[in-house]
Amino acid sequence: MSSTGFTSPFGANANPFGAPRIDVGPMHRVAEEDESENVASPTTHAFGQGPAAEGLTFQHTFGGDAASSQLEHSGPRSPPYLDTYPAQYNFARRTSVSAESLKPTSETYDNWVPPFSPKTPEQLERLKKAISGNFLFKHLEEEQSSQILGALVEKRIPAKDIKVITQGDTGDFFYVVEKGSFDIYVNSKSALQPGPDGMGNKVDTISAGGSFGELALMYNAPRAATVISAEPGCILWVLDRVTFRRILMESTFQRRRMYENFLDTVPLFSTLTPYEKSKIADALESKKYPPGHAIISEGEPGNSFFLLEAGEAVAQKHGVETPVKHYKPGDFFGELALLNDAPRAASIIATTEVKVAMLGKSAFQRLIGPLEGILRRERYVGIKSGVEDTDPLHVPKA
Amino acid sequence: MAATVAPSQSMMSGGGGLHPLQAQGLHAAQRQHQQQQQQKQQQGQNQQPHEDVEPFDVQNRHLTINDFVRVRTLGTGTFARVVLVRPSHGTEAERSKVYALKILRKTEVIKLKQLDHVRHERQILADVSGHPFITSLVASFSDHDFLYLLLDYIPGGELFSYLRKFRRFDEDMARFYAAEIVLVLEYLHEQQGGIAYRDMKPENLLLDADGHIKLVDFGFAKRLGNNDNEHPVETYTLCGTPEYLAPEVIHNKGHTTAVDWWALGILIYEFLTGYPPFWHQNPIEIYKQIVEKPVIFPHDPPISDEAKDIIRQFCTVDRSRRLGNISGGAARVKAHPFFKGVNWEAVANKQYRGPIIPPVRYPGDAQCFDVYPEEDAVKDEYTSEMEQKYDDYFKDF
Ligand SMILES: Nc1ncnc2c1ncn2[C@@H]1O[C@H](COP(=O)(O)OP(=O)(O)OP(=O)(O)O)[C@@H](O)[C@H]1O
Ligand SMILES: [Mg+2]
Repeated sequence: MSSTGFTSPFGANANPFGAPRIDVGPMHRVAEEDESENVASPTTHAFGQGPAAEGLTFQHTFGGDAASSQLEHSGPRSPPYLDTYPAQYNFARRTSVSAESLKPTSETYDNWVPPFSPKTPEQLERLKKAISGNFLFKHLEEEQSSQILGALVEKRIPAKDIKVITQGDTGDFFYVVEKGSFDIYVNSKSALQPGPDGMGNKVDTISAGGSFGELALMYNAPRAATVISAEPGCILWVLDRVTFRRILMESTFQRRRMYENFLDTVPLFSTLTPYEKSKIADALESKKYPPGHAIISEGEPGNSFFLLEAGEAVAQKHGVETPVKHYKPGDFFGELALLNDAPRAASIIATTEVKVAMLGKSAFQRLIGPLEGILRRERYVGIKSGVEDTDPLHVPKA
Repeated sequence: MAATVAPSQSMMSGGGGLHPLQAQGLHAAQRQHQQQQQQKQQQGQNQQPHEDVEPFDVQNRHLTINDFVRVRTLGTGTFARVVLVRPSHGTEAERSKVYALKILRKTEVIKLKQLDHVRHERQILADVSGHPFITSLVASFSDHDFLYLLLDYIPGGELFSYLRKFRRFDEDMARFYAAEIVLVLEYLHEQQGGIAYRDMKPENLLLDADGHIKLVDFGFAKRLGNNDNEHPVETYTLCGTPEYLAPEVIHNKGHTTAVDWWALGILIYEFLTGYPPFWHQNPIEIYKQIVEKPVIFPHDPPISDEAKDIIRQFCTVDRSRRLGNISGGAARVKAHPFFKGVNWEAVANKQYRGPIIPPVRYPGDAQCFDVYPEEDAVKDEYTSEMEQKYDDYFKDF
């Protein structure tokens, strides 16, 4: 079958990747481009005509063996057309980065608990404020935040001119300034050099409430600057990468496994594969409600499914004095909203402070596909009545 | 002296899955070897091994670095140097073969805490070898200081080099490469038990002599599972290349194969504009942009609505909305308007012609690769203490 056999949405072109190509074409094309710099991109119609002998030109400009400087890997390469290029973009090859591999405690069977060093309420407040704007801390769960705040350790820097970070060294710690100030120096050679001016130029000063070294919380990369104390009697709070990443990992990991276990007990999901359940677990959103709050209101259209993570709740129906059902952690409600558009048949009221994990109908459908398909899956047949029996939100068909 | 062929008993008896002709060859080789030994003993000689050709058989022989001659370096990365090599002995036909040898220094692997990653790399490469768009692993071996992965040599060079050279690709070219990559991701994610590749970028995409994609560098690949009986597990180790990291990796939320679809969005953007959507000299600023900023398209070059849409759908922070990760998986990607008219079977069969035909003059030609300094900086010694502690990790090589 030749490539010209495919029907194409691209008008004259016979295939969706453009005109059928010929082997010498691109070489010719490159040559052509090298000669006249006004060809915007290697478009497909530019070749096919003309002699192919320019292949030699290609070798000449492209030949690695000839040590052509064009493809030398060191240093940023300059773009061929500066007009529409971002001016400072570095066009060099990019290498990868990696942190140490982390495995959740439950897989490795050791008993890791996050380190804890006590702090006064004022210190905690200051720390919270110092890290609240940082993109690495912004999206943390409450529990994660408090563990991380607890894990920061104090480090006293008694004298002036003490190096806390050395440019070019590998970095493992993130610092928050509690007291005093620190000067930041950058040497253009990417590392501290010997001699009096070895630190390079002073670029910034960081004082109480500021922080530095956050890249070290992601992976071990050479430090981009040297940091020294600018006065005596400075105090820092220090957090190391492994502690930071481990706190985040442990809590996420545990919650994911908990969700998966909960989801395994939902009859409506019994036809889903573990793979699909994992995707749902991944998409669940945590929410908190105060006691007395109506998580679901009778008569309103239902859009979400809920898992009760913590706390207790009851189901109430209009005209019925006592709750029709009690919910405890691990229970779920509202899953019929994923199935149909019927209004909620009961209200669910939090009786304590509650934490729920929530999944919207649209997210469910995006991840799993249309529900009719799921209902038609064979395994669902046997359990249908189970749903009707257990869920007071179910509106029996008239 | 270099290790000689030491066929096991089962091989000699023609068992062990060995092709009978090969077994015969081994018999012959051994007979010859024995005769030589006898001759030597009779003549009282013990120096100068016979000048006869020592066969070069990558499958059935315990390889060492002495079995190869180094031609030149093809590429270097954070962890490894990849060298073009040819066999140092064997028949003329055998010696004319070339390979790419990926060399990892044990002390660096340990220092950079990549022990798990190199084991996964070897295992997964072995599992996926043979796919038309993935580099095949031929063999692996190790010695006191190094780990080696012997790979098929892919002569066309990095797609990265062509992209920088051309500045950017038009949409037809981008579509061609994206289509082949979609098939690779579909294979890894959906047919290979949920393998996340985790380092998609033009530097890791090579072109074969015909201009088709070959994915290299499985250094971060990880099997997460997607079979019907078990919950797949998300993974937490931050790895990848800064401009291509997915937001969930930066936030350490646990990540899945969905990271590869994010990266494909970044890749298509870079194909079409010549630079990635999020970039900065300071990596921290890249990460801030990735988690906080939407992808913005330049006015020039103009980008089609379909291309913008597929990029936005891949580069969606919410994984329950990210194309490739949502229901339908790769099939949904293939059905996107950006790929309208693509005959996917023809893509899989390499029936579309590559838009760039690399100027490869002969099989061992390396002119498509950049030139690198051949010398390593002086590195730490692999001490016997380290050997005791870590060599077990490397035993699969
Ligand atoms: N089979 C091969 N044939 C030809 N060249 C290859 C092959 N494998 C790798 N290379 C070249 O060597 C380079 C480095 O290899 P690789 O990406 O595996 O190393 P790495 O150290 O893991 O890199 P990274 O910094 O991306 O982690 C590749 O970008 C490619 O140019
Ligand atoms: Mg690489």
